[in-house]
Amino acid sequence: MSAIMTTETNTDLLEAPDSTHTSVPAPATPSRALTKPSFFANVVTIAGREVRSYFDSLTAYVVIGITLLAVGGWMFAGDASFWKTDRATMVRMFEMLPWMITGIVAPGVTMRSIAEEKRSGTLELLITLPVRDSEVILGKYIGAMSLVLVLLVGSLLYPVAMFVWPWKLGVLDWGPVWSGYLGALLLSFASVSVGLFFSSITENQIVAFFITSFSLVGLTALGWAVESIPGWGGDVLAFVSFLTRFQPFARGQIDIRAVVYFLSIAIIFLVASFRSLESRKWS
Amino acid sequence: MSNDVMIAASELSKVYGTFRALDKVSFEVRRGEVVGFLGPNGAGKSTTMRILTCFLAPSAGTAKLNGLDIFDSSLEVRQNLGYLPQRAPLYTELSVFEYLRFAASLRQLDRSTFMKRAKTVVEVCGLAQVLGKEIRQLSHGYRQRVGLAQALIHDPPILILDEPTSDLDPNEKAEFLDYLKQIGRDRTVLLSTHNLSEVESACGRAIIVSRGRVVADGMLGELRGRSGKVRYTLTIEDPKGALRASDVSEALAAVSGVATVEQKPSQGKSMTFEVSGADDSDLRPQISQLVLQKGWMLLELRRDSQTLEDVFRALTVGDARRNRKLGAPSAEDDDEDEDDEEDDDDTAAPAARA
Repeated sequence: MSAIMTTETNTDLLEAPDSTHTSVPAPATPSRALTKPSFFANVVTIAGREVRSYFDSLTAYVVIGITLLAVGGWMFAGDASFWKTDRATMVRMFEMLPWMITGIVAPGVTMRSIAEEKRSGTLELLITLPVRDSEVILGKYIGAMSLVLVLLVGSLLYPVAMFVWPWKLGVLDWGPVWSGYLGALLLSFASVSVGLFFSSITENQIVAFFITSFSLVGLTALGWAVESIPGWGGDVLAFVSFLTRFQPFARGQIDIRAVVYFLSIAIIFLVASFRSLESRKWS
Repeated sequence: MSNDVMIAASELSKVYGTFRALDKVSFEVRRGEVVGFLGPNGAGKSTTMRILTCFLAPSAGTAKLNGLDIFDSSLEVRQNLGYLPQRAPLYTELSVFEYLRFAASLRQLDRSTFMKRAKTVVEVCGLAQVLGKEIRQLSHGYRQRVGLAQALIHDPPILILDEPTSDLDPNEKAEFLDYLKQIGRDRTVLLSTHNLSEVESACGRAIIVSRGRVVADGMLGELRGRSGKVRYTLTIEDPKGALRASDVSEALAAVSGVATVEQKPSQGKSMTFEVSGADDSDLRPQISQLVLQKGWMLLELRRDSQTLEDVFRALTVGDARRNRKLGAPSAEDDDEDEDDEEDDDDTAAPAARA
């Protein structure tokens, strides 16, 4: 049941930024009888090149490697490790995953996206091809998300290897695992969008990485403070924090408000990235 | 016919903060013209090209390419042109072929058209040997060729090239300019460069910009004749070897009609002088008479009409002078524009270059 939900929501999500985006008015280019129909073809071309360059540089391997190692380490080492608690659950993985997504994965996959293109000047050549700014942003976003998807699928190796094949360490309830993955995906949608925005406002990929990492980890860490701050202050933190929004998913609950929250963040920052790219024209 | 005007810039202005990078730049380029776009560094050449290619928007004014407005039909404008930015910034992790395919697919070329066009541009740009190589392994000259190839891949009616030959060696340059002349017959090419000999060999017309303004626009012959000044090159030798350069200069300067005399580097006992006349009357009789009178041995006396380089320098000399100065611009420089003290696209301070 939850598996079906995941796939359904996925397709919805992938289309969401797209459809919202076309509703954004582009003042510089009123859409007057455009002879070129294939918005999506260009997005795919740009995203494809993006993915190609991830695997060409070390980015993809480093991001995926570090994340899988960290998640594995957290699950199998330490006092509360999988072995000590002795229960068929993937909860430990979903404790670690949000920190890795916000701290390493999203900043890592987006840091080059626009910042590096600005620095090296390739942006000029890209944008003077007949592509819309929105196609550039969306292509880069989808390219970055594809890498995150590869990572999430890669992390599936843990539950599969532990509970399906080659080992059978117990009978796993897959419901919370799928909802956890849905949460991780939603969190990634929001985080990658924020990263893309920060990459669009600087020419330095290192700066882009750290601003993104600090702000996303900050947003996540707010969740820790929720219990120690009483009253409306705590409510506000709980509302904003990525962690409090994510945690129910790891327990098997799909919180529609969290879905809306993560998607809103994703859309807001995609639009902001688009504006930031467009602003080159006027500054 | 008005639709023969392929590039029409009208009153383009671009202001960065208080710095006016472009000030009402207007010009037209017709089909079948190869036009040289000249100017010192920071004069606004690249800014103009970036506006025409829809990378930047002008602060005021507009432009039409092939009848399409850069604001209203930005996508169609870009479909109609091939652009090579300065220093050919390419995705270095792609191979040459992959890059061309990337550009072609964003330009909606289908596979068979792409293969056909790719064959042509690879031949024209001399890329056959490096097609499978990653761009990062290529020299600057080759990268520039790849940049040209992507600008030509869709066979555009308009080509805008920002210093396309800066990294090419002399042979490549000559080849490339020949090719430009060839394709320029039924297309429109706007080409920026500092290299005036290139303009002389490839372009029929030149537009000279300085400090964000068009200071000259015309056919090359017309531009050369602009100031009406004529130069003479005189090479003499003194058989006795006792001749002093300063004496010769003085004697030459005393000839009526001579404006300036300048000694040029020379070899051995011979001395070369460049004499410029105040007007276009012929001074050769007077000069040769002087040589006879003094008993010098005449090796060469040549009359040149003004070169493009002279025109360029005369029109843009203020820029160079201003770049070397730290203080406020003096009255003789330009007193109406106090705000363009920083004169570069990159807004580099004058001090950095002084």
